[in-house]
Amino acid sequence: MVRRLPSVRRMLPWLAVPPLAALTLLLILPIIWMLSTSFQSGDKMYQLTTEWIPKVWHPENYPNALSRAAFPLFFLNSAVVSIAVMVGNIIFCTLAGYGLAKYRFPGDRFVLLAILSTLMLPLEVTLVPTFLIIHKLGWLNTYQGIFAPLLVDAFGIFLMRQFILKIPTDYLEAARIDGVGEFGILWRIIVPQCKSAIAVLAIFAFRDSWDQFLWPLVVVSRDDFRTYPLGLVRFGEDYGNPPTEQMAIAVLATIPVFVLFILLQRFVKTGFGLSGLKG
Amino acid sequence: MQAQTDALPRRAALPWPPVSYRTRIRAWGVGFVLPTIAFFAFFKYGPMLWAFWLSFTSYDMMGTPRLVGFDNFTSIAHDPMFIQALGNTLVYIAGATIFITLVALGLALAVSQRVPGSRAYMSGMFLTNVMPIVAVCLVWRFLLHPHGLVNQMLSPFGFRRIDWLTDPSLAMGAIVGVTVWRFAPYFMVVFVAAIVAIPADFYEAAEIDGAARWGRFRHITIPLIMPQLFFVIVVSALLSARIFLMPFLITGGGPGGATRVLSMLVYETGFSYMKMGRAASISVALFAIAMVFTVLQMRLFMRGEED
Repeated sequence: MVRRLPSVRRMLPWLAVPPLAALTLLLILPIIWMLSTSFQSGDKMYQLTTEWIPKVWHPENYPNALSRAAFPLFFLNSAVVSIAVMVGNIIFCTLAGYGLAKYRFPGDRFVLLAILSTLMLPLEVTLVPTFLIIHKLGWLNTYQGIFAPLLVDAFGIFLMRQFILKIPTDYLEAARIDGVGEFGILWRIIVPQCKSAIAVLAIFAFRDSWDQFLWPLVVVSRDDFRTYPLGLVRFGEDYGNPPTEQMAIAVLATIPVFVLFILLQRFVKTGFGLSGLKG
Repeated sequence: MQAQTDALPRRAALPWPPVSYRTRIRAWGVGFVLPTIAFFAFFKYGPMLWAFWLSFTSYDMMGTPRLVGFDNFTSIAHDPMFIQALGNTLVYIAGATIFITLVALGLALAVSQRVPGSRAYMSGMFLTNVMPIVAVCLVWRFLLHPHGLVNQMLSPFGFRRIDWLTDPSLAMGAIVGVTVWRFAPYFMVVFVAAIVAIPADFYEAAEIDGAARWGRFRHITIPLIMPQLFFVIVVSALLSARIFLMPFLITGGGPGGATRVLSMLVYETGFSYMKMGRAASISVALFAIAMVFTVLQMRLFMRGEED
């Protein structure tokens, strides 16, 4: 029994390669389809077979799509909003996560639960009153109207808290004795050790905001503040816009998130296991 | 920033009486959390209370909200469209949660074996999470078209043209399928992190004791990843409760309302028909659903804290 194991162990992994590779390919097939379609000619879309590698490449789909609607502006709007949301989450979630992980104060437990319970209040639930607040503030059709309600997210706070909990409190005590202030501790001790958690937070805050559809749909009615998802959907609804150009925009919209993932990947490796609430 | 930190050391100097020193430190803790508390009070709890109040009013954004008692609630309770949307939402949550969890676990088990290139498969699969949801919806709407890629790939297996998006009995299943495609690889990562952390000698000991593959999975893997399992179930349920864009874009809520979910009904009622009070009462139902899973999440969290 035991003697047989080594050879089986050596063989088995390689046997698993083809099915796993096939499964991965199957999962990313829609992404490949998107890429391939974005280079097809418009009339190829309605054929009964899929032409994976275009016989004739049509890279002009990209400039055509960009010029048909105000997509450069829509992308800029999305970028402004998403970067604001990302920065807001990094600042507020790190502050709150640090406060909740390393300080005891009356009611800290209650605050923790109050923050956790905001999970039951996503924008979809508070859509009407949040819209009325933004309306009362005069922020309809503004950047701050789109990003303000998204600036802090409970998951981000918990990600940071769970991560900071693992940093030994002795470090902080030592720093205090050396005369470092509380803000100095956060900046010089906590933040440098939290890079991977902050990277995860940054990616997901950006991605989630980049994905937002319902909220901008509600607060934006003017083209100058429309984000790219609104623009893309409307572009698809307008008769006569080829789907291939729609796919070109979809590809362009994927690139920023993809780049962000690549850039921050080395941090993510260590930070990812913590994306669960239970560290 | 530098000036600020330079000014601080005086506070931490030890001559302070211990109580006052501790109080100072505490005040900093409160200070760090305060911006977030203020934010949530303004953008979460305030709107929640306002939504409750609005649900007892009739309000079309002209003039002021008019109190109507329980009228909105009795009205939506008798509205077949609401009943249907509520049912759809629950079916969607159940379907999406179950299949996301199972598929994510399956993928994690496959990927976490000691297989050459397992990291590459994981990164590849995770790409489904890099694509913006709008793009996901647009692409899948084409793929699920009667002549689309899905039917093209199924035809060698003898399937005839399947109307994924226009057959009322299939449309919700199709939306669940897209949801699973999108989110399962994300939760796979959560599972992989937990599975990889299980010490290899646990399995070796079980193997020597003659435990079969299934036995090892059932008695070692599952109990040790229980916290992550609960986490994935609860979080995917919370995610699914908020679903809007997928049915909105892929099927438009059709056919015949078969994929219209509560968030779509809130949007239509509030922003197409301008019935803010009624929309608020529908969102109270959505709130109740989200609350169930949030309470579960909190209990899970509390249990984790006690360890």
